[in-house]
Amino acid sequence: MGRITLTVHHNDNVATLLDSRSDLTETLTGLTIASDIAFGHKVAIQHIRKGEAIIKYGVAIGTATADIECGTHVHVHNCQ
Amino acid sequence: MTFQGYLRPNGQAGVRNHLGVLSTVALANRIAALAATAHGKALLIAGDFPRGLQTPDALLQDQVLLQLACHPNLGGVLVLCHDRRSAQRWQSLMSETGQRFHVMAVMDCKGVKDTVSQAQNHLEQLSAELQSDQRETIPAGRLSLALECGGSDASSAVCSNPAIGRLVDRHVANGGTVVVSETAEFIGAEEIVVQQSVNDTVAAQIIAKIRQTEQRMAADGDHYRGVNPTAENLEAGLTTLIEKSMGAVCKIGSTKFSGCLEFGQEPPGPGLYFMDTPFFSPCSITGMVASGAQLTLFSMGVFNPSGNPLAPTIKVCGNPQTIQDWPDGIDVDLSPLIKGDLSLDQAADRVVSRMIETASGDFTLTEQWGEGQFIIPRMLPCF
Repeated sequence: MGRITLTVHHNDNVATLLDSRSDLTETLTGLTIASDIAFGHKVAIQHIRKGEAIIKYGVAIGTATADIECGTHVHVHNCQ
Repeated sequence: MTFQGYLRPNGQAGVRNHLGVLSTVALANRIAALAATAHGKALLIAGDFPRGLQTPDALLQDQVLLQLACHPNLGGVLVLCHDRRSAQRWQSLMSETGQRFHVMAVMDCKGVKDTVSQAQNHLEQLSAELQSDQRETIPAGRLSLALECGGSDASSAVCSNPAIGRLVDRHVANGGTVVVSETAEFIGAEEIVVQQSVNDTVAAQIIAKIRQTEQRMAADGDHYRGVNPTAENLEAGLTTLIEKSMGAVCKIGSTKFSGCLEFGQEPPGPGLYFMDTPFFSPCSITGMVASGAQLTLFSMGVFNPSGNPLAPTIKVCGNPQTIQDWPDGIDVDLSPLIKGDLSLDQAADRVVSRMIETASGDFTLTEQWGEGQFIIPRMLPCF
């Protein structure tokens, strides 16, 4: 049992959650993630340092405004 | 592939045979609404159309209103003006179009009741002429499709937009026309525009429009960050405008842009076109419908009610929660794509089926709700 995620492009450093099982802390691909991450939200799939690009679709969609641990939520609180 | 539609005298195809009441100025809106209601089956086309616009805005409003009056989904239209001079001008314009029409001026009547009653007479006469119109078999390539996004979330990028993109590839290959707009939602997707334009000139024109919107947003300061992505986009997980744009651009599939259009401008021929419009759905849809689009494919993540009264809007959604919560607002369910229970081609097939059924007469949910507005963008203050 694990959460459905989608990594769009092989260069991405985030994946998108595509189910509502926010109680689960592992993805179907075996990655440990934080709980309480809603459908459609993103998790880091590697450690991202403050100032680094957040990559989705193979392009920089924003910049990390803080260090982001692998498996944790990526959104407006740490990405701009 | 064909649909059952109405062939118009000018060769255009309609998917509806509406009897319209067009209020050409906001002064006449209420009378137009009363006449449409009294008739029972007339479609009200009205909006915030003022007098006193500065020239560029006045020209755009005049152009869009004429295009709406001549739209192929109308079997006939009563053009309602306020003053006699305006009515004379409209009479002259409309007689060159081949559209079935009557024109009247409020100021030619005496009393509100009389005005509504005269409008009703005109509508009844037009109604009688519409009776004999029949649907016939028309190639699907004669459809001009408007593409729109609303309530975007992650599922838009994974389900509804790519499925529409697959349909776009097929439709344009079949000689069809597609118009995509919402300029702000291409900010960040410029690389894709460059790769997917038929030549450098087209790419440059589109990029120039994107830049212009980006500069305006920057000049407005940080305020725009709260505007796009919208509150519901953020709640749904979209973090930045670039992320939203990269998802939005999936709507065009792998088809290349044949040209760049101004708001409401009619495409010069078949193909995929970019239209420079605001991102607000009712406004962008108004522009694409004015250009001749007979129906809109509307990709949704979380719910968005938008539609257009004149051209059917097909609501396509891949978010399982939205499907569950808003069954009376969604026409096509693509959520099985997420679990891999549907392929992208099968998803596109579902949208194509609904498109043909809708074009041939089936009402969409937004039509059943009477949803939609006509909004024309304005650049300058009114006098």
